[in-house]
Amino acid sequence: MNTQDVIDSYVGDVAALLPRKQRNDVAFELRHLLTEQLADRAEATGRPADAAMTIDMLREFGRPEQVAGRYRVPFDVVDPLDAESFVRASWIGMLVIWVAHLISAYGRPLAEGDSLLRALGEASMQGFMGSFWWPGVLVVCFGTSASLRRKKPLVADWSPRDPSRIGGGRAGLVLAIVGIGCGLWLLAQPTWILDFFWNGRAAPQAYGALTYAESFLSLQGPILFGLIALYIPLYFAVLMKGQWTPLLRHLETGLGVLGNGAMIWTIAAGPVLITEHGDRTARGSLLLIVVITSLILAYQAWNAIRPAPSTWVPSR
Amino acid sequence: MVDLDSFSKLELELRRGVVVLATLSQLRSKRYGYELRQALAEKGMPIEEGTLYPLLRRLESQGVLDSEWRIEDGPPRRYYVLNAEGRKLLKKLAAAWLAMNGAMERLLEDA
Repeated sequence: MNTQDVIDSYVGDVAALLPRKQRNDVAFELRHLLTEQLADRAEATGRPADAAMTIDMLREFGRPEQVAGRYRVPFDVVDPLDAESFVRASWIGMLVIWVAHLISAYGRPLAEGDSLLRALGEASMQGFMGSFWWPGVLVVCFGTSASLRRKKPLVADWSPRDPSRIGGGRAGLVLAIVGIGCGLWLLAQPTWILDFFWNGRAAPQAYGALTYAESFLSLQGPILFGLIALYIPLYFAVLMKGQWTPLLRHLETGLGVLGNGAMIWTIAAGPVLITEHGDRTARGSLLLIVVITSLILAYQAWNAIRPAPSTWVPSR
Repeated sequence: MVDLDSFSKLELELRRGVVVLATLSQLRSKRYGYELRQALAEKGMPIEEGTLYPLLRRLESQGVLDSEWRIEDGPPRRYYVLNAEGRKLLKKLAAAWLAMNGAMERLLEDA
C-alpha cells in the first residue's frame, strides 16, 4: 500500500462511524490534513514518507472509533447519575422474574417420568433467559428520563421532600380509605362477586372455591381482617391532622409488621379456603404479599440515612 | 503516593479544561486545522490533531465558529473563524480564565 492508500483506509474507517450528512465533508477535510501532516513529518525526519511512517502517524492520531467519537457531542443513553440505579434495578428485576419462574414450576404438576430437579433446572434456564426483556424496558425508561432532563433541565430542579406530606394528597387518602373498606367487605364475603356477575347462577364449584375454611373464619380471619381494618382509623387520623407525624409513621410501620406476621401465621396455620386449588392460590398470594412487603420494609430500614461520622474522632 | 500514571491523567484533565479557550483564542482570523495546530504549538499549547480537528467541527455545530472551503495555493482547505457568538463566548471564557488564574496564583503561593 502507498501512503495515500493508508490514509484513505484510515479516513474511511473514521468517516464510516460518523453521521451520514457529515461523512463526506469530514473525510475530505481529514484526508488533506493528514496528508499535510505526513509531509511535515517526512521533512522533519529527513526521509521520504512511506507506509510505515504513515501508519505510525495515524496510530498516534488515534483509533478511528475514538476520533469519530470526538466529532460527536457526547450522548448518554442512561444518565451517568442513574447508572448505579439502572444496574441495581436490572439485577433485582431479573432476579424476581427468575424466582417467579421457579415458583411457577414448583407449583405445576410434574410430567410423567420427569423429576422435580430437572423441571426446576429447566424453569431456571427459561427464567434467566426470559428475564432479559426487563433491562430493555429499563433502558427505555431511564433513557426517556435522561432525554427529558437534557431538554428541560429546569424541570429536574431539586425541591425539598417534606416527610410529613401526604403522598397523593387528601383525595388520595380518601380513596385509600374507601378502597380498604370495599376490599374488606369483599374479603368478608367473596362470593358476592359471583352473585354480582352471574346473578346467583354461577357453578356450585365456583362458590366452593371462594368459601372460607371454618378454622380460618374462627381465628386467623378476624385477626387478619381486623389488622387491615385498623388502617382506616390510621388514615383518618392522618386526614384530620393534615399530615403524617413521626408517631403515625411508626404506627403504620408497626401495623405493616403485625400484618405480615398475621399473614405468615395464616399461611402456616392451615387452609384458608375449603377447595385445594383455591386454598393454594390464596396462600400463594399471601406469601407473595409477605415477601414483597418484607423486602420493602427491609430495604427501607437498610437504606435509611443516619448521619454519623465513619471514623470517630475523640475530642481533646 | 501519586505515581506517574496518575500525574499524566490529572495533567490531561487540566489540559482538557483549557483546550476550547486556547482554540477559540487563535481563531479571531481565518485558519484551517493544521495551521491552527501549528500556531498553538508555537505558543506552547500543543494539542493532538486527533483532538483538535474534531473539536473544530463540534464548536461549529455548537454555533460559535463559521467555516468555508477555500482554495489557496494547494488543495481545498476548510477555514474556521469565530462568529459573533464565538467572540462573545471567547470574551466570557477569557475573563473567567483570568479570574481563576489569579485565584490559583494566590492559592499556590506556598506550593
